Amino acid sequence: MMKNIIPENPPFKLLNILYKKEFILFMVLFIIILINSNVSPYFLDLYNLIDSTFIFSEKAIIALSMTFVIIARQIDLSVASIMAVASCVLGYTTSIGLDTYLIITFTLLSGIMCGAFNGFIITRFAIPSIIVTIGTMSLFRGLAYSFLEDQYYNKFPKFVVSLGSDYLFGYIPYAFLTFIILSLVFAFILHKTIIGKRIYSIGNNPESAQYTGIEVDKYTFVLFTLNGLFSAIAAIFLSGRLSSVRPNIAFGWELEIITMVVLGGVYIYGGSGSILGVVISIFILGMLSFGLGLLNVPGVGIIIFTGLLLILSIGFPSFIKYFRSKNE
Amino acid sequence: MIKLLKNRDFILFAIIIFGVILIGFANPFFVKPSSLSDVLTDTSILIILALSQMVVILIRAIDLSVASNLALSGMLISLLSTVYPELPVIFFILLSCLIGTFLGILNGVSIAILKVPFIVTTLGTLSIYRGLIYFVSDGKQVYSHEFSESFLALIHYKFLSLSFLFWVAIAVFIIMYLLLNHTKFGRNLYALGGNPEAAKYIGINENKYIILAYSISGFFAGLCGYLWVARYSVASTQIAIGFELTVISACVVGGISVMGGVGTVVGCTLGALLIGLIRNALPAVDISQFWQLAISGAIILIAIIINTKTEQRKDKTIMVE
Amino acid sequence: MKLELKKISKFFPGIKALQNVNFQLKENSIHALLGENGAGKSTLVKILCGVYQPDEGSIYIEKKQKNISNPATSLELGISAIHQESVMFDELSVMENIFIGNHIIKSNKLVDWSAMEKKTKELLGNLEADIKPDEKIKDLSIAQRHIVQISRSLVHDADIVIMDEPTASLSQKEIDELYSIIRNLKKNNKSIIFISHKLDEVLEVCDEFTVLRDGELIKTDLIANTNKDQLVTYMVGREINQIFPKKLVHIEDEIFNIKNFYKKTQFKNINFSLRKKEILGFYGLVGSGRSEVMKTIFGINKFDEGEINFNNKKITINKPKDAIKNGIVYLSEERQNLGMAGLMSVKDNINMAIMDKNSDYLILDKLKDLQNASELQEKLNIKVSYWSQLAQSLSGGNQQKTVIAKWLSTKPKILILDEPTKGIDVKSKSAVHEFMGELVDTGMSIIMISSELPEILGMCDRVVVMYKGLIKDILEVPNTSSEEIVKLASGE
Repeated sequence: MMKNIIPENPPFKLLNILYKKEFILFMVLFIIILINSNVSPYFLDLYNLIDSTFIFSEKAIIALSMTFVIIARQIDLSVASIMAVASCVLGYTTSIGLDTYLIITFTLLSGIMCGAFNGFIITRFAIPSIIVTIGTMSLFRGLAYSFLEDQYYNKFPKFVVSLGSDYLFGYIPYAFLTFIILSLVFAFILHKTIIGKRIYSIGNNPESAQYTGIEVDKYTFVLFTLNGLFSAIAAIFLSGRLSSVRPNIAFGWELEIITMVVLGGVYIYGGSGSILGVVISIFILGMLSFGLGLLNVPGVGIIIFTGLLLILSIGFPSFIKYFRSKNE
Repeated sequence: MIKLLKNRDFILFAIIIFGVILIGFANPFFVKPSSLSDVLTDTSILIILALSQMVVILIRAIDLSVASNLALSGMLISLLSTVYPELPVIFFILLSCLIGTFLGILNGVSIAILKVPFIVTTLGTLSIYRGLIYFVSDGKQVYSHEFSESFLALIHYKFLSLSFLFWVAIAVFIIMYLLLNHTKFGRNLYALGGNPEAAKYIGINENKYIILAYSISGFFAGLCGYLWVARYSVASTQIAIGFELTVISACVVGGISVMGGVGTVVGCTLGALLIGLIRNALPAVDISQFWQLAISGAIILIAIIINTKTEQRKDKTIMVE
Repeated sequence: MKLELKKISKFFPGIKALQNVNFQLKENSIHALLGENGAGKSTLVKILCGVYQPDEGSIYIEKKQKNISNPATSLELGISAIHQESVMFDELSVMENIFIGNHIIKSNKLVDWSAMEKKTKELLGNLEADIKPDEKIKDLSIAQRHIVQISRSLVHDADIVIMDEPTASLSQKEIDELYSIIRNLKKNNKSIIFISHKLDEVLEVCDEFTVLRDGELIKTDLIANTNKDQLVTYMVGREINQIFPKKLVHIEDEIFNIKNFYKKTQFKNINFSLRKKEILGFYGLVGSGRSEVMKTIFGINKFDEGEINFNNKKITINKPKDAIKNGIVYLSEERQNLGMAGLMSVKDNINMAIMDKNSDYLILDKLKDLQNASELQEKLNIKVSYWSQLAQSLSGGNQQKTVIAKWLSTKPKILILDEPTKGIDVKSKSAVHEFMGELVDTGMSIIMISSELPEILGMCDRVVVMYKGLIKDILEVPNTSSEEIVKLASGE
């Protein structure tokens, strides 16, 4: 008897690839690189390109754990404020002369505690994460302000400074390297492990996930704690690079990080998306900033452009859909 | 009587009165009528923005772009006023409202027609509008001496020892109260927020209401653009940065539910008053300004938690013991 | 002729929802609209309510051709619908719910609250309802909500009232009250389109009937000219002799029991046992606590006191994971969710509950996952083209099968089904029952919460009757009667 074997994927059609989100993003990246290299002779310079990764590496690290948060149908607006707290802890522990490993530990711990606080409030009281993190966004940043007032730290362990601004083998910035390694780890977790499938399941239908035996609250708590941890890691790199910490450090970064994730094709209401898409979108935004910067477009222009890109990346496809349905 | 005591708005009111008394003990100067009047003036813009934000939150959305909208509208009319100082101030006020409304409509269209989720849209316009301020002003400020007399005069006008600003807030309160409680549009907003699917069956056009809600939010953001700029006699790229969070906190404290369909105009106003009270109380009791952000954040968290605990329906009693 | 639909057709990509349907609603008539799920009833209703527009055909109201372009127009034309799903606004008052979308306005454009209150009191009084105009909907019972919906259609001066499964979730007393309200509406010159799967009800209440099948009109006639079997034949296209094709199964020993289950304000003194291969029914009015008990057993809610025993051993269930590990699964009543992850693949959906069993160290085992999915796809005959297909692209029936496949993957010993055939048509009901019979034959036991007496009497070996959080009695089905069960369920 011929058994009807069901294939894993639909028959391979080149055309289908064209519709995939990741491919479109890749095309956009390609176009940007092309345009940039035509417009400015400095663009394709290897050293310039390497140095350009500094601007986005810290944000990129947080974007990875933020991806998990958003796929799980949550959002975390407090990441930049957690960075501020972690940076303060970093500066303070340095100023009282602790050993480097203790400094790092306390800094990471502060991020973990902030993230856990978020996770606790969200799961214990079942409050939408957008509201809780709007609150903790102010609370954490406020703690940084009240601690530092109008002072700032500018002394950090050599290790930290080196992490933030040096290169492995003289070529690869540590921050960028960390980002690349982490993206591989996150991609593996999301696509090849049960943890990843459960995160998707929670994002699709939290109640159904609960009935399936997934401990939704536990996962939510862990995801926010993780976000806190990675915010602290990013803070270490950033503080090292800037060699200065003021309470307004990383101001506005949460928006850019969320932009990285959403532009990467992760559905804002959860349930779908890939790490690959987010990584490509990080490069898109990075190359864009870099290219525009070379053309002396002010930082503000880049901000406007990013905002427009974010809205259009979602608006344009739905506009096309609308157009198509009208013609049918 | 018991029902009154359990009424959320009444509790808020009681907290405010209690708070004023408490602060008065620490700093008697604070409870002088003129000081209190200053607090009201200072809170006026927050009240206006909270009431207009309420319209959006009622239909299960948020407008994160209000502060940028306010700043952009304010900057545009300020720049215009330096070029045409002879124009009457009412012209600038109306223009500011118009610009704000237009910016609000853009939000509404993006959400309703382009189907870009409100979080994404308003996060985007938050940046775009803020960025445009730099663009139009070249990063420069408009200083107080550059404004015409007529531009600034209105703000300092006092009637019955209450400032012009506060009277505007009262007027907005009355308008919103009538709009949300006594017009078909207002009641339909509550319905749409409470049960969007059902509202469709009743014939309420969701897209129309989304665009209108964001237009209202934008209109008042524009109005406050003028008020802010005139009050502080300066227009810059930095004004009202982060203020949208304060506005949302006021709404949440005031009992407006993020799930939509729940909240009162009175409650929203009281929420704004409470936040305003705290902002002004801190310097009065010698707490450094730098604590303000942390305290606001803590207040909003406490408020939401209390909100949620009372909102969440306890299991319906099935069995009587 | 109040309403006439001539040659109405409606197409969706790949589906002919309605094809050349003619429908006539006479004045003062209660007209039953019958058909299985997918037959086209709800499409027809949505067209009348202005939510869809027909692709072909025309609509006549009182002999004049009308274009129902949107819900507002439908209301203006005098068509009003009472839906199964809540078209109610919980946080608003009864008065506002009645007048929503249609507020009475004073000359100064403000809402006229006093006029609305007066009219509301009048309407509620006419329907003899003990409801106050300012009560919030969330505080009302389901029957009371129906009354509010009916009042709403009266306010709109609707001449055509569409009722979609109006007696689902009502107690017998409330059902009788509803019938008399419906008859009163008829006396007041309303025409009613009555949709129900309960054929006994249709035969009792309605004057005429129309049967749809696969989007086409099969038969229209007077109720007086037909009977239940004939209606079933029209709906299904062939005779169904047994609606409850239950295999005879040899019931074995007790495998599971609950002792002294107690949860404050929810339920008390819950004691019952379950035998292997048994189907144990749970009957009671809506709100009697059945779902609460089951959700607590499954670990969704916590209980204050009590003991769960499985195979003579005490087990602890603190969360669904524990229950599933012990072989207990729960198919919830909330079918909107369907217990499914729409944006994930069919394969992932099927494997969702057993991924950890298949894998080492949390890494997915592709081969085992594929094997499991293939096995269940074949067993349940799930129509899927390729494994990576998104679950939301499957048809409704196949989606349900995917959810069932998910649960069967866990090789459960006890299946808790919460209203498994609620709102389902005759043919599918029969398929579900047949499937249940097969499952117990393979050694499973089933606890079935149901509010349909025929189903309880036809499928269950024993029935637990609950009332207000307490067990009134546990009866052997062959030795009891519907009267006895109903009496216990209403508290006597």
